[in-house]
Amino acid sequence: MEPLQYVWAGVMAFFNGPEAFAVFGIGMSISVLMVVAGFLVGIVGGATPGLAGPFLMAVSLPILLSIFGFTPEALLPVLGFLVGVMKGSTVGGSVPAILFNTPGTPDAMLTTLDGYPMAQKGQAGKALRTAHFASVSGDTFSDIVLFTCAPFLAIVVEAYLGFNEKAALIILSLSFVAAVVGQSPMKGLIAAFLGLFIASIASGQDNYPRLTMGTDFLQSGVPLITAILGVLILGEVLVAFEDMFRERRASGVATPEVPQSTDNGLSLAERRKLMPFVGVSAVVGTVIGALPGIGSTLAATLGYAMGEKMHKGPVPFGKGTPEGIASTEAANSSVSGANLIPVLSLGIPGNVGAVFLILAAESIGGFNPGPSVFRFTTAEVNPELIIAFGLFTAMMFANILNWIIGGHIMRACGIMARVPKQVLLPMVLLLTLTAIYVQETDFKAFYFAFAFAILGYLMRKLRIPALPFVIAFILAGNLESAVRQAFAVSGADPFFLFKSPLSLLFLLLSVVVVIFFSRPGKRSANPAVEAERNAG
Amino acid sequence: MLDRRSEILLSSFVALFSALALFVWIPSDSETGMVETFRRQTNIGDAFLPSIAACGMLIAAVVQLVLSLRRKPAAARPYGVFDGTTAAFFGALVLIVVGSLLLMFWAGPILWEIFGDPERTYRQMRDTAPWKYLGFILGGVSLVWGLTSLIEGRARARRLAAAVLFTGFLILVFDVPFDTLLLPPNGDW
Repeated sequence: MEPLQYVWAGVMAFFNGPEAFAVFGIGMSISVLMVVAGFLVGIVGGATPGLAGPFLMAVSLPILLSIFGFTPEALLPVLGFLVGVMKGSTVGGSVPAILFNTPGTPDAMLTTLDGYPMAQKGQAGKALRTAHFASVSGDTFSDIVLFTCAPFLAIVVEAYLGFNEKAALIILSLSFVAAVVGQSPMKGLIAAFLGLFIASIASGQDNYPRLTMGTDFLQSGVPLITAILGVLILGEVLVAFEDMFRERRASGVATPEVPQSTDNGLSLAERRKLMPFVGVSAVVGTVIGALPGIGSTLAATLGYAMGEKMHKGPVPFGKGTPEGIASTEAANSSVSGANLIPVLSLGIPGNVGAVFLILAAESIGGFNPGPSVFRFTTAEVNPELIIAFGLFTAMMFANILNWIIGGHIMRACGIMARVPKQVLLPMVLLLTLTAIYVQETDFKAFYFAFAFAILGYLMRKLRIPALPFVIAFILAGNLESAVRQAFAVSGADPFFLFKSPLSLLFLLLSVVVVIFFSRPGKRSANPAVEAERNAG
Repeated sequence: MLDRRSEILLSSFVALFSALALFVWIPSDSETGMVETFRRQTNIGDAFLPSIAACGMLIAAVVQLVLSLRRKPAAARPYGVFDGTTAAFFGALVLIVVGSLLLMFWAGPILWEIFGDPERTYRQMRDTAPWKYLGFILGGVSLVWGLTSLIEGRARARRLAAAVLFTGFLILVFDVPFDTLLLPPNGDW
């Protein structure tokens, strides 16, 4: 197959996949339907404070696996739904930030600075339209960068990196994530090594399952999805429970209704005026997003800071100007596409959303995100490459959907911000437990879930970042396999990792990154980094 | 950042745990060592990855410990990690969660024993309404309502109704459309 034929096959796999139903004889692909469903769930969930994209992806994944099973046909519908959630929640997060001064997602915090004052001035509609326009523009730009960069990067990685270089690259990525996320690089490293340690339970090659202490309970290893849901979702839920228990804030205090202005549209001229802010923020967000571990909060902070320098309008930033919203939303939304560059080109998840895409692919099988996906073989068909282009099509379809109907749905979701968190989070707990159980059908899964929930809770309380733990936990199998193969290929050379210049460079960079981010005073000197670390 | 004392305690605990894992747990609980030679072929053994992980944890914990010891106590910002409120919260949380899960696990079989046909077992009825819903509804509602009441500090009838509706919604999502899925705890029976 020629490269263009692969692209076309991917597009067709998405639009002409298994049929969900037919309207007037025209079949509706289940993948298309799942992107629409994911997108709607994402917007509604993103508009609900306490829920966010990764949260929704985590809860949906076991349900999707139960529905679609573990055949290759399940890949595009499941990944499509998750992509829809990711994109929907990105725009949905700005709704409560603008209407109620309550950011739906951490990166929408800066949207409150201008969005809420605009809503108070009666311009809520204009603020929401600005957020939607900037968010979708940033997201589309970042996706285009992903589609063009990821295949080339993957081809380079596959052509030039051997087993030892791949092992060294995984080590570099883990060090980078560990050093950048959270408040202390050493704690990030502790989290990453703990992830590797726990992932090694019962996962070796010998007949005796290692580190199981001879118990039946651990003999099958630690269930991947349950562990990650426990650390990321249930840990967060426990912390939120405790915070609410402490505060026990009086809720239900009605805020006075602000009369809305008649000028709530966003004209073409106004959109053109916003474009420089959107453009700069989209580039900032895309560059930041391509680096593993650095998330949308830093992108939003930097985008906002750059927009503030460019702004010369009558209303300053922070007092309710559309340019402020555009700078923030374009930056944090453009992170989501670029975040998939390390996933698809290196097989390394850079953020929590990407973790769930990798988990879905690994659970279903038949698609292993990484450099080997982009093998444009001509003699035989590479089905993984068709899935990759199908995934790109799903992302573009979600963007088109977002352009057409996203704004309308988003404006209708304001009511979600009124759902009290103390009611919502216990429901999320039951939903997560049910989703885990229907997949494992064993009460033992609850023990694992709560054990990892406690671990996630302790990590948050002790300011140990959870993301390096999760990424190391997922990559442990790949790392061990690359190390085993590199060692065997080197003829049992004890210095096998230091033999190639590239591998040596990656290892040196791993050390340099940790030392660089450990420098005292570095964090406080940069408020954007500080904001990101606090979010992580 | 945590206060100096908490950081020192945390780093010491991690250092101790990783040292124990490295020198006691891994050697005694892995079939092969770091490197294994079998029929003149040398390969990486099963102890390699956990040993590297434990060693890395140990080094990072010791560095963190040294950095924490070098911090001036006066410069530390007070940050209470765990206190009496945490204990009270966890005490109540454990009671609600354990009670709800016990109810979820046993309600169906116990009610079957009392009201069901003695010729049949709960296992035979675990995928038949209404028996398959009893444990999930009772356990699920008590979990959601119990936690909401714990957080709000009072039990409200409206919240009970919300918990019942939500548990019913989950049944509609997970059970009604799928013949192959089992709600908790029916897979265990």
